[in-house]
Amino acid sequence: MATPEGHGADTAHTATTEAEHGSGGLPQFQFQHWGGQIAWLLILFVILYVLIARVFTPRMRAVIDQRASTISGALETARQVQAEAADQARAAAAEVAEARAQSQRVAAEARAKAAAESAERAAVEEAKVSEQVAQAETRIAAMRDAAMSNVGAIAGETAAAIVEKLTGKAASAADIKAALVARGGAA
Amino acid sequence: MEVEAAKAIGAGLATLGMIGAGIGVGTIFGQFLAGALRNPSAAASQIGNLFVGAALAEALGILAFVLGVLIYFG
Amino acid sequence: MADPIHQFQIVKVVDLPDVTLPLVGMVDLAITNSHIAMTIAFAAVVLFLTLVTSNAQVVPGRLQTIGEGLFGLIDNLTDSIIGHDGRKYFPYVFTVFVMILAMNLLGMALTFTATSQLAITATFAVVTFGLVLVIGFAKNGLGFFKLFWPTGAPLVMRPVVGLIEFFSFMLRPVTLALRLFGNMLGGHVALKVFAGFVVTLGAMAAGGGFGLLGIPGAALSMTMVVGLTALEFLVAFLQAFVFAVLTCIYLNDVVNLDHAH
Repeated sequence: MATPEGHGADTAHTATTEAEHGSGGLPQFQFQHWGGQIAWLLILFVILYVLIARVFTPRMRAVIDQRASTISGALETARQVQAEAADQARAAAAEVAEARAQSQRVAAEARAKAAAESAERAAVEEAKVSEQVAQAETRIAAMRDAAMSNVGAIAGETAAAIVEKLTGKAASAADIKAALVARGGAA
Repeated sequence: MEVEAAKAIGAGLATLGMIGAGIGVGTIFGQFLAGALRNPSAAASQIGNLFVGAALAEALGILAFVLGVLIYFG
Repeated sequence: MADPIHQFQIVKVVDLPDVTLPLVGMVDLAITNSHIAMTIAFAAVVLFLTLVTSNAQVVPGRLQTIGEGLFGLIDNLTDSIIGHDGRKYFPYVFTVFVMILAMNLLGMALTFTATSQLAITATFAVVTFGLVLVIGFAKNGLGFFKLFWPTGAPLVMRPVVGLIEFFSFMLRPVTLALRLFGNMLGGHVALKVFAGFVVTLGAMAAGGGFGLLGIPGAALSMTMVVGLTALEFLVAFLQAFVFAVLTCIYLNDVVNLDHAH
């Protein structure tokens, strides 16, 4: 790599001073410096390669894999928890639906019972009322019959009085009765 | 001194090669921008290709530059 | 200091005697500023990765987030480009990536950028290229040469296209090395040049008179320095990333030779 004549402390020194005074060409092309640089770079490169390949890369991969597993684990847990929550929500919804159905059933029962009770009570009341109505009707009928019989007697008396006034003689009771029967029939 | 003058002229001429690199890099970035504006969602994935292309184009200009430096200082 | 190239000068900090190795020849063992920059980058990477991984938590802290971001970046790269075999090559790609990234970023903070030395970038490129060759021959044997036999092309064209493929393949280490080298060199030279403008124009302005016209120029240069510094940080990351991407692509060529071609 390096030019053989460029070696040695004193020659290199003169080359350096010459370059420092300018126009000595590009310092990169002073080949007497190449050998040392290349050798040192290769040494550092190999050490760094070994360090990276043996130490740093496995460590870094371990961390990254650990992170990936942590994240996937957390995701898995989250998914599980979510599924659990969904299950619970479903159970709760079912419970609610059941409770609602039960309450509806209870309500319906209560409504039916209340309706039956009220119907029964209404029937009792109605029976009582109709009995009273029937009694009242019989009483009314009795009173009417009594009144009607009185009306017959009154009509007879009235008729006898009218006949007596008109004819001057009293009509026989049998005639009047016959006339009344022929008229109204309701003696 | 004539050699010095010739060196300077030669170096200057050699570095003209960087014009091409300038055109090339400009074309690459310009085309990238045009493409990125048409399809911005695909732009991010092509950044790597963009810089590799720009570096490849630029390398040729750098070659001309190094040649110029070599002529002038060598 | 005005010379923008001066910053790349290799200076011996501790001079050590040369050694003569078989095959390699004489090697200058002196510890230079390049060695120190490389060592600092290496130590920073090791320290960073140790801090990130030694007390790694499932819920990451700030530092660990950065470390895992870099790790995941390269992991995705090897996985998506090389495929299921990618994990085997991950350590290599990651080593290359973090080392280049550390050197690039330290170059923004220190006075010396290791990756602006062609020797360094060429080493990375040659090691990557060598690895591609070794894996290619180990996995495919002589079938490795199918890489240069474009089955998609018409039969007449195949030798020509194959030759071009072969040359572009052989140029891979060159472009790999020169891309990183040129980017770091160019960026730092530009930074130094504009910073030099600030000083020169400022000195002109200090002289008074017409020199006062230098003040807007100096201010403009200063803005350029700030902007270029930001750009250089981007480039520092980007070049490390590009190196890693290209390493993956080249490895994929030979790892999945049978599937792709």
